[in-house]
Amino acid sequence: MSKHIQTLVAVLVGLVVFAGAALFMLGAHHNVRTATAAPASSAIVASPAKAVPIDSTKCIAPTEYMKAHHMQVLDQWRFDSVRKGTRTFVTPDGRHFDKSLNTCLGCHASNPMFCFMCHDYANVKPTCWSCHLSPMETTK
Amino acid sequence: MLELSSVAHGDHEMNQQRREFLRKAGLGALAGLGAAAGLFPAFALEKTDLSVFSDKPEPGKVRWGMLVNTRKCREGCTTCITACHHTHNVPDFGSSKSEVKWIWKSPYDKAFPTSSRQFQSEEVLNRKVLTLCNHCAEPPCTRACPTEATFKRWDGIVSMDYHRCIGCRFCMAACPYGSRSFNWQDPRPGVRELSSTYPTRERGVVEKCNFCSERLVKGELPACVATCPEEALSFGDLNDPKSAIRTMLQSNETMQRKPELGTLPSVFYII
Repeated sequence: MSKHIQTLVAVLVGLVVFAGAALFMLGAHHNVRTATAAPASSAIVASPAKAVPIDSTKCIAPTEYMKAHHMQVLDQWRFDSVRKGTRTFVTPDGRHFDKSLNTCLGCHASNPMFCFMCHDYANVKPTCWSCHLSPMETTK
Repeated sequence: MLELSSVAHGDHEMNQQRREFLRKAGLGALAGLGAAAGLFPAFALEKTDLSVFSDKPEPGKVRWGMLVNTRKCREGCTTCITACHHTHNVPDFGSSKSEVKWIWKSPYDKAFPTSSRQFQSEEVLNRKVLTLCNHCAEPPCTRACPTEATFKRWDGIVSMDYHRCIGCRFCMAACPYGSRSFNWQDPRPGVRELSSTYPTRERGVVEKCNFCSERLVKGELPACVATCPEEALSFGDLNDPKSAIRTMLQSNETMQRKPELGTLPSVFYII
């Protein structure tokens, strides 16, 4: 008799374990679905941005920030404009910029050595200029 | 000694009980799985989320398309090709082996190899047809790309992210229209006059027509359409029933290249 009760308990424990695992996976699956749904719908909503006049009186962010983070900014801009198609960047103070390397070069190319001075000093070799026209080439 | 052996014996018994318990618990879990699968079939077979496959032409979504009027297209004229290749810094090395092309002219039988040529007029058979990337609604190239360097944009343009291209050329093998070219060498020396509005490419990267997405953003027509002296090219939103291109498609008999492949090209031809 006790053997039968033992078997019953074992089976019940197994069932509980199974139910727990199933619920956990259902929850995880649900989370994944909601996580992927958001970017998909926003990509559809995103419409081709209209041309934005470049407001070039001031940089998009303080110099100190740009010194440390321009690579992240450029990487994000590249992703947004090439892949997502959201080309307009709005600064916290409400100015609009076209997310393009040419926006940066619109001002910074006035000194053709702007990028090179620092990159030479820091010995970093980004591959931007193997495709993009560097200010050294355009101001020749 | 006796005590020790009895302890060992007790351990053995407990082990047996534990094994038994685990075995039964496992069976219980299995039975639960089986019962659940039987009661809720959706649980056992993962449901396909169809909303993920939304690349087909959809109303309300932009799908850029082009209509080429081969009757108007003048023989020997290369204005659109020159304009496009200059705008996008497409190199020209003068050899077909290292040729890079975004838009070019093909003989009729090369552009439409599977269409009927029986009793077709000589004039049509000798026509040169303007060919470019078809920006298919079902592009085979984007499926072949292992890095998602080429992908379908929200507006139907099959786009290239040159930053991500690893030069494997799977997309070139997948494209049934030969619309993709590989840079076997540094393209810069092959570009006569550098255009500052668009970057060049580098060695080891595949390139193709981008439907002038950089001009569309500014509200301009593609370079080929804007420069055609015969106005043989029309451009517009295929998903908008009131667009000029749709009305032209309504009033003309048109063809697509290799329609039997099911790639749903967005470039149409009036023969």
